[in-house]
Amino acid sequence: MLSISKRTLFILTSLAPLATAAPTLQIEATGTPELTLRGKDAKQQIIVTAKLDDGALRDFTHKATYSASPAGIVTIDATGIVAPVADGAAVITAEADGVKATFPVKIEGAGTRQPINFANQIVPVFTKAGCNSGGCHGKAGGQNGFKLSLLGFEPGEDYEHIVKEARGRRVFPAAPDNSLLLLKGLNVMPHGGGRRMDAKSDDYALVARWIAQGMPFGQESDPKVERIEVIPKARTMALGGDQQIIVLARYTDGSVQDVTRSALYEANEKSMAEADETGRVKLFDQPGDVAIMVRYQGKVATFRATVPLGAQVASLPPVRNFIDEQVFTKLKAMGVPPSDPCDDATFIRRVSIDIAGRLPSLDETNRFLADKDAAKRDRLIDTLLASPEYADYFANKWSSLLRNKRTEARDASSTFAFYGWLRDSLRANRPYNEIVRDVLAATGTVDENPASGWYRQVKEPQQQLEDAAQLFLGVRMQCAQCHHHPFEKWSQNDYYSFSAFFSQVGRKGSAVKETETIFHRRGVASAVNKKTKQPVKPAALITGPMEIAPEDDPRLALADWMSNRANPFFARTLVNRYWKHFFNRGIVEPEDDMRETNPPSNPELLEALAAKFVESGYDLKGLVRDITRSQTYQLSAVPNNYNKSDRQNFSRYYAKRLTAEVLYDSLNELTRTPSNFSGMPAGTRAISLPDNSFNAGSYFLTVFGRPDSSSACECERTQEASLAQALHLLNAKDIQEKLASSSGAAAKLAADARPDEDKLRELYLIAYARQPEAAELALAKTHIDKPRNAADGKPMEAVAAKRQGYEDILWAILNTKEFLFNH
Amino acid sequence: MLTILGNKTGRFCDGVTRRDFLKIGGLAMGGLSMPQILRAEASSGVRKSPKSVIMIYMAGAPPHQDIFDLKMDAPLEIRGPFKPIGTNVAGIQISEHMPYCAKIMDKLVPIRSMVGSLTGDHDSHICYTGRSARGVPVPPGGWPSIGSVMTKLCAASGKTVPQFVGLAPNAGHPPYGSPGHPGFLGAACAAFRPNGAGTSDLSLNGITSDRLADRRTLLASFDQFRRDADHSGLMSALDVFDQQAFDVLTSSKLIDALDVSKEDAKTRERYGKGFSANYGDGAPRNNEHFLVARRLVEAGARCVTMNFGRWDFHSNNHSELLTHLPLFDQGLSALVEDLYQRGLDKDVAVVAWGEFGRTPTINKEGGRDHWPNVGGAVVAGGGFKTGQVIGATDRLGGEATERPVHFGEVFATLYHWLGIDLNTVTLPDLSGRPQYLVDGWQPMRELI
Repeated sequence: MLSISKRTLFILTSLAPLATAAPTLQIEATGTPELTLRGKDAKQQIIVTAKLDDGALRDFTHKATYSASPAGIVTIDATGIVAPVADGAAVITAEADGVKATFPVKIEGAGTRQPINFANQIVPVFTKAGCNSGGCHGKAGGQNGFKLSLLGFEPGEDYEHIVKEARGRRVFPAAPDNSLLLLKGLNVMPHGGGRRMDAKSDDYALVARWIAQGMPFGQESDPKVERIEVIPKARTMALGGDQQIIVLARYTDGSVQDVTRSALYEANEKSMAEADETGRVKLFDQPGDVAIMVRYQGKVATFRATVPLGAQVASLPPVRNFIDEQVFTKLKAMGVPPSDPCDDATFIRRVSIDIAGRLPSLDETNRFLADKDAAKRDRLIDTLLASPEYADYFANKWSSLLRNKRTEARDASSTFAFYGWLRDSLRANRPYNEIVRDVLAATGTVDENPASGWYRQVKEPQQQLEDAAQLFLGVRMQCAQCHHHPFEKWSQNDYYSFSAFFSQVGRKGSAVKETETIFHRRGVASAVNKKTKQPVKPAALITGPMEIAPEDDPRLALADWMSNRANPFFARTLVNRYWKHFFNRGIVEPEDDMRETNPPSNPELLEALAAKFVESGYDLKGLVRDITRSQTYQLSAVPNNYNKSDRQNFSRYYAKRLTAEVLYDSLNELTRTPSNFSGMPAGTRAISLPDNSFNAGSYFLTVFGRPDSSSACECERTQEASLAQALHLLNAKDIQEKLASSSGAAAKLAADARPDEDKLRELYLIAYARQPEAAELALAKTHIDKPRNAADGKPMEAVAAKRQGYEDILWAILNTKEFLFNH
Repeated sequence: MLTILGNKTGRFCDGVTRRDFLKIGGLAMGGLSMPQILRAEASSGVRKSPKSVIMIYMAGAPPHQDIFDLKMDAPLEIRGPFKPIGTNVAGIQISEHMPYCAKIMDKLVPIRSMVGSLTGDHDSHICYTGRSARGVPVPPGGWPSIGSVMTKLCAASGKTVPQFVGLAPNAGHPPYGSPGHPGFLGAACAAFRPNGAGTSDLSLNGITSDRLADRRTLLASFDQFRRDADHSGLMSALDVFDQQAFDVLTSSKLIDALDVSKEDAKTRERYGKGFSANYGDGAPRNNEHFLVARRLVEAGARCVTMNFGRWDFHSNNHSELLTHLPLFDQGLSALVEDLYQRGLDKDVAVVAWGEFGRTPTINKEGGRDHWPNVGGAVVAGGGFKTGQVIGATDRLGGEATERPVHFGEVFATLYHWLGIDLNTVTLPDLSGRPQYLVDGWQPMRELI
């Protein structure tokens, strides 16, 4: 084993100045002032870092050439791995671009081997090779009779299975190479999982040696992994660059071991970077921030790479509020110049859709475009926030996330009541923490207390905890039900302790047929940890167990904990969720998967938004106001020469397709035809439908992905494209009927005596909130004026021909991307 | 987004590695147009050897003991009136009402020991996902059916024929009319349903093809919005689907595939016609669906599902069977023979089954009731080892005595055959949890 007493060290060699007016080039290694390797099997990855003349750091680990002197003490290979040969001291030299760095190494006990510890050394081999993954031996029932704990979370069980189960035939100490375990791993004996190991690898040698030693489990007193750390923790890197990282495991006895080649790596943005199994990170060609999650023995750590574009950010649009300060600071650091602010036409369409879920009316657009007031955008935002459509749109969003689902006709009174309560709460701008408290701690029937509607669909304590954690805290706890969360710190104990808050939720029939009364069942709240079979008290993630009196409803304690100002999850999750609503991308993405290993792209921005939100008393309209008033929100979607590939720094507005409901409503608006939902008044807008039950009757809503309220995840709403959608928009019978309706837009426009140019301008204003360009106008006019023949071949009568022309124009408009997207 | 746990061995259906896949994704983000992406896909080996699956759901659960597993050693009130006949494979006998299948037994594999229905609920779910509809944990969003999984993992872009086609029309009992749900994969992976909602989108509605062409030209000149204003690639994807949709409406490759009148009379006669109307609240006994299924996979569809009949014979089991079995026998055998004649038998796998079996004892009404303990299935094509029987039931046909086969094992076999690594490929459910395609089942060694 090796021990490192200090984390990092810079070694500077005296440099001969280079021939040209050279930058001061530094080579940097990491380790200790005196790296000590103990024992025959110790190894250590080193990294070599060059400091360029502009101060930038670049990884030269795989570029440098290495030597060690005196000979015979250590070896170092081309990838920077140091291994002992004999006891003594040596100096390693790395050389690149004519520059050198040196590094002292001391070897102790090169002839001796440390006893092997099963949990610390053998289990990670299985994890790295994928043996104990959820698809193979790690799944609940094992694979072909051989079971390992998922990702090695239960070394004790693994030991039993390998050494003692199947009459011990899996290991053969007398001839380790003939052990079934190894023969299968090498695929020498037929193995469903194929070849997972190389006979020449260190891992193979280690397992063979462990078997030869008689399969020691290790001592109770042996150190355990306390945490892992990554060197470096973060780097600013060049596009397409690479970086070797070192992963160190720190043990309970204070010792340290290099586990770089035993750890697992995964990038949070797979389009930006990948890491190979040796811990070498390679970037692709996209600027931004990327985190490489490193996992070892149930511990996680993160390497963060910041990848600037490096363009000059000469001028920035004026800062309008604190959001812009954070975003623009980041853009400057990243060298990503933002797009220009959008024009008024773009703004009114964008903000009307984002806040009120609808296109601006012709009248609104005309007035807004003509308005000379410098504060007109702020005023428009306030008008929209005060409109009932704001409440419709956001109630639609929350109703789906809170699973306000109608499965049978008789559910309607409940779903309508819950929806109505949500809508009223949003309309009245009740503080978010109060809304959540009402939902979480609801009692009574849906009639008495509509907020109890959540408990109607979300029935089991586990579902309740999983939904509450994902929806309100941005934490996905599901994995921790059956095993330690692989990407997170959450254990099964955390899971069941959280579920204990819901352990006293009682249900009984009520006077109203088919509805239940939710009540607090008196008693001490607790849940049983399914793994340990031990009862656990309610505990909210990072805080310890809570003492809750039997007569107190534990859900109130949970709600209190959530709306504590210091709660690190609650406000951040909400502001991130709302940010995504407007920007089509969360500051943390996905918006409900906030964890250390999935860091925000702009932590300061997230922090500032959350702080403001808490300070405002959880004012939802205030949050929307802050976001939409920002210059950042008001940037154009059209990229400049530099920010085309920016996907996470908000250097422009990220266009998004209209949702099923908004698209349907917009289409009705454009064609001037009413909707027709069964059981609702004609003309009811899709955005104000109270529950999911209308999806089944509307192919349009289904095919464009309106969610069915069956999950707490926004991702249930599908915004992907499909052939069925394209066919429907281009050719659906009901859309064709809307276009051809005798009371619809085309008929009216054809009969309208105004010049076609005026009518076309009006159409453009309705569809796009802008005037047509001259070429567009000419094109449309030409199409309308085209001679048309009826089915019998004779020229059509003028009004009929014109009507057909307008039908075509409307059809074309509703199929343009400019119409289908909010941009 | 797909994820693959474990290491480098993960491959998708057509031999595209994870790295290739990400490269494609990375290119897309780098601002490539969709056609360029399609070329990139082509150069990474996508669709070199397309394989397709035809799934036939015998809605309502057919009586296993009256079709492929006659129990002649059981008393009359259990074995019923049907007699077995020999087949072209020595030692395999099946129902006398399956004469066509008997002649091609060398191309079939009856499985006599299907298990897995936990609750005996009527549901296509288990036949399309391999998982019991109830009694097992359901991930947020629900389990996706095989057609949706194939759409997600194997679909080739830019095809004029949808990759997943469900021929089932809606039925009185909704699960009988389901082509398989997309579950947590969402609407974009749903079946294309030429006989369901959206049917009318396939043919022009009130406009002539000239006018459509005229509109298309108009749209092209109107639709000048800058595609790079969208960072996600969705705008370009919509362009590609628009193109496909126009192809559907004009070149009519899809319409042709759905049109059995393009087939010669002799072939149509061989498949039979059946009935296009639903049988009660069940599926139709539409023999033309067998033929359409073949035409669709030939045209490029990857997964075609069809629902056949309504086999829930709680009364008059044997006389009811005479309304179903002969048609089914004719359609299935025609499909299998046809696949062989066209050299598609290695590239197309066929599975036909219901959600469970039926009671050994015939009830007072002459019917058989639900029997989730054991049921039957038949597999063909796929280059599988055919001409054998897998599994057996006891003397009464009540329990599997040999080689119980879970529905999930058949799905494992199909995914494996499609080239999907069951040990590594996962799809995230709506909570972000990676879900494996089958619950630990392994491909059936008897078949491959």
